[in-house]
Amino acid sequence: MDQTTLLMLLLPILVIQLGLMVFTLIDLVKNPNPKGPKWLWGAIIVFINILGPILYLAIGRRNY
Amino acid sequence: MNQFGVLLKKEWRENFRNYKLFWIPVVFILFGIIEPLTNYFLPQILDSVGNLPEGAVIDIPPPEPEQILAAVMGQYQLVGLLVLILAYMGTIAGERKNGTATLLYVRPLSFTAYFLSKWILASVVGLLSVWLGLITAYYYTMLLFERIDFTKFLQFAGTYSLWILLVVTFVLLLSAAMPNAGMAAAASLLLIIIFQLADGLFGAYWTVSPLKIPGYAVSWLLDSPGNKEFWGTMGISVFLILAMLGSGIWMSKYNASKTKV
Repeated sequence: MDQTTLLMLLLPILVIQLGLMVFTLIDLVKNPNPKGPKWLWGAIIVFINILGPILYLAIGRRNY
Repeated sequence: MNQFGVLLKKEWRENFRNYKLFWIPVVFILFGIIEPLTNYFLPQILDSVGNLPEGAVIDIPPPEPEQILAAVMGQYQLVGLLVLILAYMGTIAGERKNGTATLLYVRPLSFTAYFLSKWILASVVGLLSVWLGLITAYYYTMLLFERIDFTKFLQFAGTYSLWILLVVTFVLLLSAAMPNAGMAAAASLLLIIIFQLADGLFGAYWTVSPLKIPGYAVSWLLDSPGNKEFWGTMGISVFLILAMLGSGIWMSKYNASKTKV
């Protein structure tokens, strides 16, 4: 398998994961009242792959 | 009917604005991509992180494409269900807590319209995510391995959809019944795990059970499941969904008085 096909295969994951991360971080910065300390959520979003942003969106946003 | 339309619109806006309409499908798609890729690159991954002795030969037969779709479904059974439960645990319990419910309850509210509007939006998001994720997985499996018969895939995904509907209905029912969102999530997770455990332990004694839906969905990929068991299971599941809808409507009405402002 040559480099370009490899890139084509892996690019969607990279885009989705980075997109999710950036999107979530922006939301965290704008969020006036998240559930729990902001810096902790920031660390979770950046350092825990995939699951970090999901956890923030699901339980950290305090939207209910 | 007018009230139902208004409530449906409200639910749609809510799902749109708290991004559930976007991020839940994205998560499912992500898992749909990762599973085929890790299967494809498994030899290289083992090679680079496996800490194997020099000269060790790894000979893994390439997995069947059907196995990969089944593995994607396995991921959805763990992470996917968790995401759906966490996302929809607060739909009714949370509204009671944050005050939206008081605004609704002071009006002449049809609880049927109230519960059904929530159920429809949650189901739409759940089904959309599962279908997009499975189609992505199907596409990647086709690229990296072999093509799976599309009718088989449709049967598989269709059967699994009913399971997702069942879970979503269950979560909403518990959200209506429990005092707060956390309890609803804990109860639905615990009950789903216990049910699946019970099915794993004693499931050999019964063939017709809603818990068998994921299993029957996978068996569509290999060959078809037994006609009688399959349709029996589907029938019972549909009945169960209707029953849960009914009790959900009743519970949301019953608990309306418990609102705190």
